[in-house]
Amino acid sequence: MTAAAHPVRMGLPIPNSKLGMWLFLGTEIMLFTAFIGTFIVLRLGSRGWPTDPHVTHINVWAGAINTFILLFSSYLVVVAHDKLLQNKPSAARLAIIGALVCGLAFLGIKSVEYRGKFDHGIIPGRIPENESQAMENVLRQVDARMERLVASLPVEGDKRDVRLTAVDQELLDLKAKSEPTPAEVIQLKTLESFKTTWDALLPAYLNLRDHARDKISFTVPFAELENVRASQTSAPPLSFSEFVDEFEKVRQSDALKGVLGNVVVTQPIVYGNLFASTYFFVTGFHAIHVIVGLLLFLIILAWGPGCSALFVENCGLYWHFVDVVWIFLFPLIYIL
Amino acid sequence: MTDSHASHGRTYLMIFVILCCLTVVSVIADEVKVADRSVVLAIVAAIAMAKATCVVLYFMHLKFERGWKYLLLGPTLLLAASVPFALAADLAFHYYANDVPQQREFERLEAASTSSDHVAAPH
Repeated sequence: MTAAAHPVRMGLPIPNSKLGMWLFLGTEIMLFTAFIGTFIVLRLGSRGWPTDPHVTHINVWAGAINTFILLFSSYLVVVAHDKLLQNKPSAARLAIIGALVCGLAFLGIKSVEYRGKFDHGIIPGRIPENESQAMENVLRQVDARMERLVASLPVEGDKRDVRLTAVDQELLDLKAKSEPTPAEVIQLKTLESFKTTWDALLPAYLNLRDHARDKISFTVPFAELENVRASQTSAPPLSFSEFVDEFEKVRQSDALKGVLGNVVVTQPIVYGNLFASTYFFVTGFHAIHVIVGLLLFLIILAWGPGCSALFVENCGLYWHFVDVVWIFLFPLIYIL
Repeated sequence: MTDSHASHGRTYLMIFVILCCLTVVSVIADEVKVADRSVVLAIVAAIAMAKATCVVLYFMHLKFERGWKYLLLGPTLLLAASVPFALAADLAFHYYANDVPQQREFERLEAASTSSDHVAAPH
């Protein structure tokens, strides 16, 4: 028996591509352990972390369905590899198509969940963590809509005050015209409609803003706020629920329905921003990995019947890793 | 690639069924309202570990791989644990109470909730 008959093989007893994939997965393990571990540590160190599903809008059933979908896709990938080893490329192809559909379904459910969070104002850096911030959050949105309303007017000027002065001047000029052109008639109607809205919006905003700033109940009228402030007498305090009731009255008024209809009132959530940041960061990073996995499935399908079992195995290793990450994320995010 | 390869289809299907059952147990553990959440924590953590082990051993074939898996994954897991381990002492396991606005707000809400319970309680 000579050395030539049995050449010495250097390195680990696995194909280079599989070794490469495992080394890559090693780096991924370190990355996700850091993410998940940090998530756990932050949560343990934050007494009062939001867990109520009515507050966080986390739906355990959405997470459970997504878990089944990923588990099923993992099963399909391993079946695809098994079928290729049995020289059954058509069955393998069907299994990969199934895994691809599962991955797309996972992302679809995830995006519906993300949409729900956005609709409820669960966005990092945008969540009020106490009642003052919650009121400020509503006022900030109202102010932004006022800014947009003024910016949309067909008058000159960069700043809000300049544009409002221009509106008043333009209205005076248009009304003074004895025979206005059709374009001027339209302009007049637009500006008059704006003035009606603005005259309702501005005092309502100032009323909300000043009561929120002074933390004084709406039982004290707006006109008396200055006196209460100056005399430094005690006044009934303002609660967030009272503020929301007053805002809803303003929002429901006929003149302002179209302007304030989509203002999101977010209840204060202690540690809400840390929760939202970690939630979107960890699940978002996982979703990016799912997308990469789907691209790998597309490569397998594009390759056709000639695709090697080793390539499918390597893609499968990656996909199973994505599945393992979700196995830990599901209880951490949806249950605990 | 030959068709003489023995199929592992039955094993894979069994593992998939086990994984599904374990997921169902996790959801049930959450839905059953146990007063002590640490019991739920222990159950779902153990289930997650069991599920991950099943996937890694069977779907990722580590059960059938040779000794290189220890050489490659041992140092990786050790390094992976270092970040949360390093952060834990400072963020989660200190003797003092955090003095941050969120903590004060949480304590205020807890106090308000306790006092409203007292008011609501029948005498």
